Amino acid sequence: MIKKLAIWILAGLLFLVSCDKTPVDPPDPTDNNKPKISGTLEIEFRVPGSFLPANRVLRADLSIAKDAESLYKGRFLQMANVYNSKLMYQFDLAPGVYYYQAGIICVAEGDSCSAASFPGGKFGMKWAIGTAEVKQDKTTHVVPQFTR
Amino acid sequence: MYIKKKKTWLRLILAVMAAGLVASCETGIDINTDNQDVPIVYCVLNSADSFQYVRIQKTYLIDQAALDYPPVQDSMLFKGEIVITMERWSGGKVMETVRFAPTNEIPKDSGFFPYEKNILYKAKAKIIANQIYRLYIYLGSQEKVLYSEASSLGNLTVIDPMPLPQRKISLYPGTNYTCRWQPVENAGVYQVSIRFNYKETIGGVAKIKYLDWPQTFASPGSDTEYLSNDISGSRFMHILEDNLTSVDGIVREVIGMNFQIVSGSMELKYYIESTSPSEGALMEKPVYSNITNGIGLFCSVARIDVNDLFLSPVTIDSIAYGQFTKTLGFLDHTNDRDSTNKL
Repeated sequence: MIKKLAIWILAGLLFLVSCDKTPVDPPDPTDNNKPKISGTLEIEFRVPGSFLPANRVLRADLSIAKDAESLYKGRFLQMANVYNSKLMYQFDLAPGVYYYQAGIICVAEGDSCSAASFPGGKFGMKWAIGTAEVKQDKTTHVVPQFTR
Repeated sequence: MYIKKKKTWLRLILAVMAAGLVASCETGIDINTDNQDVPIVYCVLNSADSFQYVRIQKTYLIDQAALDYPPVQDSMLFKGEIVITMERWSGGKVMETVRFAPTNEIPKDSGFFPYEKNILYKAKAKIIANQIYRLYIYLGSQEKVLYSEASSLGNLTVIDPMPLPQRKISLYPGTNYTCRWQPVENAGVYQVSIRFNYKETIGGVAKIKYLDWPQTFASPGSDTEYLSNDISGSRFMHILEDNLTSVDGIVREVIGMNFQIVSGSMELKYYIESTSPSEGALMEKPVYSNITNGIGLFCSVARIDVNDLFLSPVTIDSIAYGQFTKTLGFLDHTNDRDSTNKL
């Protein structure tokens, strides 16, 4: 009987000691750390082949805008750092329709760039513009198409 | 009678000697030996430069508390003849010998140590990749020859960034930049440094300014194709916030960014490691030196500068309106301070 009583007293003491009476803060309605609803836009940035060597035509720009006007005016939502060695570029965006632009640049000497229909010769650029719809928790894959 | 007289004299002589001994005693003890005038030599061969420099000074010792009394200029420089030569060796033969001449063309920053006369030794020498360089210094005042040897590095090839201004750099929260380069032969350490250029106008006076942001040292990895260093966009915004001040009426414009990629030899790596802050119980580490008959460092670096790159409009707008940098007075990519402005 005494043994049982001692066990119950010990258990009660442990319960009391382990209780944390610190009040829990109510959730902050302005908390920005909550998970955001977003999807992914994946752009496969292929540099079109031509008679020019591969290292003479390079990726130069990959930008995302909310609409065509913003794209035209250079008010982008995101701009990727483009590299020669990287093909796939991903953007996390809220669901919706977006405009993208991809730019390639010719760095060949002489009139090679003009012959490859890059306007202005060396450092001339070609652009591919398109739209893509980003869906929640989905990845939308696009491949920009450049004109010859 | 004769013996007694002799003993008295002996006692008298002993007493005089004892008195002399007591009078000559000093309680102070010299804990320092005399200054040894140890030569201190620094020479970092730079393959990106046509001229190479050697700095030679000596240790100094004063009786007072060293931090209260800066040394005088002459106590740090050797007097007498100093002859400095460097040999380039390849295939076991001397291919080139250059002699250094004194110059004071590079001023020294002001500070604790004297800076009026900054005597360096200069030689015209283009550093060739993968060669052995031997440095000889003759000090006439000490009749001593100092010696050191170092290997030059292989060629440094930077992959990213390319010197292509049309390819704009994006550095804002959530978007990092990856700097890449090919591994360099004989290199032991690498460092990328970024220079952010901007124009600052206050009270109608405009000045071109810059902010240097060196990245942490990188070591050669196991990846044989290329080495890389990720530059954080979030950290970039914090660096601007921490290093630039907000002043009423100040207007700043982003100009662009320069990248500097440096590779250093193994000797430089050991020196950096030996002078970095200690961790653990062993607080005092011996500083690495590869100078025979002296202390200091003889090593080589290879450097590539990629200048005049532009920042992307999104980066410029993030600097102008971002939560960390919005009070710094930067204009956005349309040279405006109104984020709602329509073009």
